[in-house]
Amino acid sequence: MAQIALAVLLFPAAGAAVLGLGALRLPRRAVQVIGPGVVWASFLLVAYLFWHSLSHPQPLNLTYWTWVHSGSFQVPANIYLDRLAIFMGLVITGVGGLIITYALGYMEHESDASYARFFCYMDVFILSMLTLVLSGNFVFLIVGWAGVGLSSYLLIGFWYWRWTAVIAARKAFVMNVVGDIGMILGTFIIFVSFHQVTYTGVFAALPGHDTPALEAIAFLMLVGGVAKSAQLPLHTWLPDAMEGPTPVSALIHAATMVTAGVYLVGRLHPIYDVAHYAQDTVAAVGAVTALFAATIAIVQTDIKKVLAYSTMSQIGYMFLGVGVAAYAAAFFHLMSHAFFKALLFMSGGNVIHGMKDEQDMRRYGGLLRQMPATAICFLVGSLALAGIIPFVGFWSKDMILGAAFSKPAGQFPVSMWAIGFVTAILTGFYTGRMWWISFAGKPSPDRPVERPHEAQAVMLVPVVILAVLATVGGFIQMTALHVNVTLIENFLAPTVGRISWSGGALELEVTVATLILALAAFGLGYLIYVRRSLPVWSRALPFLQRLLEHKYYFDELYDAIFVQTMNLSARGGDTLLEEPVVEGTPEGVGSAASSSAGILALAQSGYFRTYALIFLGGALVALIVLVAVRA
Amino acid sequence: MAAVIFWVMAVVAVLGGIGVVASRQPIRSVLSLVVVMLALAVEFLILSAQFLFAVQIIVYAGAVMVLFLFVVALLGPMKERRQLRFQWGLALLVALVFGGFLYSMLGSVPFRAPQRTALSVFGTVQDIAYGLFTKYLYPFELTSVLLLVAAIGAIYLSRGGHGIQARREEDDRRA
Amino acid sequence: MPDYGQFHVGTSTLSTTWFLGLGAILFGLGAIGVVIRRNPLVILICIELMLNAANLTLVAFSRQLLNLEGQLFALMTMTVAAAEAVVGLAILVDIFHRRDVEDVDELHELKG
Repeated sequence: MAQIALAVLLFPAAGAAVLGLGALRLPRRAVQVIGPGVVWASFLLVAYLFWHSLSHPQPLNLTYWTWVHSGSFQVPANIYLDRLAIFMGLVITGVGGLIITYALGYMEHESDASYARFFCYMDVFILSMLTLVLSGNFVFLIVGWAGVGLSSYLLIGFWYWRWTAVIAARKAFVMNVVGDIGMILGTFIIFVSFHQVTYTGVFAALPGHDTPALEAIAFLMLVGGVAKSAQLPLHTWLPDAMEGPTPVSALIHAATMVTAGVYLVGRLHPIYDVAHYAQDTVAAVGAVTALFAATIAIVQTDIKKVLAYSTMSQIGYMFLGVGVAAYAAAFFHLMSHAFFKALLFMSGGNVIHGMKDEQDMRRYGGLLRQMPATAICFLVGSLALAGIIPFVGFWSKDMILGAAFSKPAGQFPVSMWAIGFVTAILTGFYTGRMWWISFAGKPSPDRPVERPHEAQAVMLVPVVILAVLATVGGFIQMTALHVNVTLIENFLAPTVGRISWSGGALELEVTVATLILALAAFGLGYLIYVRRSLPVWSRALPFLQRLLEHKYYFDELYDAIFVQTMNLSARGGDTLLEEPVVEGTPEGVGSAASSSAGILALAQSGYFRTYALIFLGGALVALIVLVAVRA
Repeated sequence: MAAVIFWVMAVVAVLGGIGVVASRQPIRSVLSLVVVMLALAVEFLILSAQFLFAVQIIVYAGAVMVLFLFVVALLGPMKERRQLRFQWGLALLVALVFGGFLYSMLGSVPFRAPQRTALSVFGTVQDIAYGLFTKYLYPFELTSVLLLVAAIGAIYLSRGGHGIQARREEDDRRA
Repeated sequence: MPDYGQFHVGTSTLSTTWFLGLGAILFGLGAIGVVIRRNPLVILICIELMLNAANLTLVAFSRQLLNLEGQLFALMTMTVAAAEAVVGLAILVDIFHRRDVEDVDELHELKG
């Protein structure tokens, strides 16, 4: 078992190493086999572990060696193999495998070396993400955390000759580092409080521990989660991250990396169950971000930006889920979101590929007739995103909303539900808008390609697979309609427990209301954008339109607070410190030496008689001194 | 007898010195210097420095001064810028002050007793040779090297092919 | 007069002081010449005069103290003076080849 778990990590590591070292020499066929192949190999191993865990619910703590052994500080290299880790591993390797296979076709226009470099980076990402979820201690968690941050940077800036891509990659990395600092500080406090860094050790020592320290740990870890999952206020990097190739957006910025924050809270749930303030903060951050992002998504014209903001919004839902301790619901939504968001990005990628890298939706129009398979798959994803039955998004989102609605813990969960409810309606609206503008109606006159071709097989098959998963995936956890099918909850129960409260009758009606309103919002888009029978709302409220288009001016705010301050201090340092001191000191020494030499050189007048007089004068003085001493 | 010779030679030397310094034409300065050297040679003889007497005449007056004469003859007539009128008087004043100062200071210096008593071999060639080749061999050899260096230097300098100006002239000639 | 001692040459008694005085006068004359005269060649000649005066002083003391080192030193001085005159004259001839020097102040290229 230990070998199998290790092999799950070793496969992508080997793939990354081979592709990285051999990028200039490997033939394209080899890259096409190795790149996705190692991920599928890991998937098979994880599937085996999954099947094994069905009959063995208890977690396994597999230690391979001791990485750090410094006095009382010990960091073992261990894997904590419990059902949560396996669940995440399935999502990562399964959806990741589909996306990387899809990328074989999407990235076909790259040069051979670039192609290999792409898949090397993708394998590095898979390795880091698996390290993150399989790690058995806080230190390796941070290693994986940093690794996915690095992969994100490398992949956003993949087309490094593009200035915008480089800036976006840098922005993402810097914000992630802010989160990393929070995580590292949290780990410091953990070590100081518990004197160990393994999950089992820390969780065993939790009972009776003083709560302020745990609250601090929970808040600091949350900072990391907020940065990685692009929640308020560390969210501005995610829309810019769409500069990367579409498979990157699908894998990293939709399905897996951005969900790391959710995993973090779930993994550390023993701490969060005790640190109530931190947990409430998680829910609040999630809910507010969900609403915030949904409002911005309404005015976006770039198809990938709509999906980016919708990702931000849906992760807000997941944070809401873990924030009210409905862990199974949150992870169900994580899985379902992985399905439909990857589906949306990939079918959107088919459109972008067919339209020669055009991403502005206003230049699409009428694609349903020309790319029917992609259009249908995109529709499936859109309906899942909007939370329409029978697609998986309905089951997962409404499970979260229902849990929040019914939680018997005062006003707080219900207020979170209210925010989520409004967001669901907005989600239906912007999702519908996205589909209607792109696929329905007449083709736009600004179209770059008259007759875009449907995607090739390697790009279409993964999309169809995900569409199928998005359609039937919901039926394994049907709590939303109070049907007693709870496979996910059962699976994750040994790790995160069950949802301890059950919904009343009102919850069912609320769920149905959400469904109907979301569907209506989706259909509203048809009237506004296709039939044009209703005016576009932004004409009446131009101020609101501008506010949303500028993303509530967060970028400008951060620029003023952080970037300008840095620039000012750097320039100040340059004038106050660099020029006078660092450059001035050697220059000053040099000029002092040469000016003193200049003064001394005045004695060398070149005139003989001056010299002669000085000789004679000196001789006279010497003589006097000699005689005086003798006397 | 010796005292008379001393005083005569002393006067000759001083007159020659004045001639060196005051002559308008360099040739007269050179000749005055020769006179001074000859007078000093006699003084050396009085001071029981026979070898030095001979060397002074042969080398100094005979070779070095002849060299000076050659150079003066080679350079031909030379103009000298006029000095300030009162410079002579000023220099004399300074010299007198200096001399008086020296005189008053030297008065207090005590005198040391002589080291040897045998006078018959003092200052002879054997005496000089003995000192030069045993105790003072090293300075002797160094002086030889110095002379060698001077000779090489003089040859090099007199070739006339060095210096930027010479090279320019050569280039002009070639072109 | 300060008494530096006396010595005998034959029947006469001479005082060392006289020789030192002569040497001082000649040296002073040479020094004045170096400072006053403008022609570089004449300056060289005055330097030779100074050297001779120094030699006289050396030999006088050598006789008084009956120590041969004075005479040997005077010999060395003579050699050095000869070498120096040779090189100095060579340089002077070189300079005079190119230009007519009226004043030694014209030769101030070697200034710092």
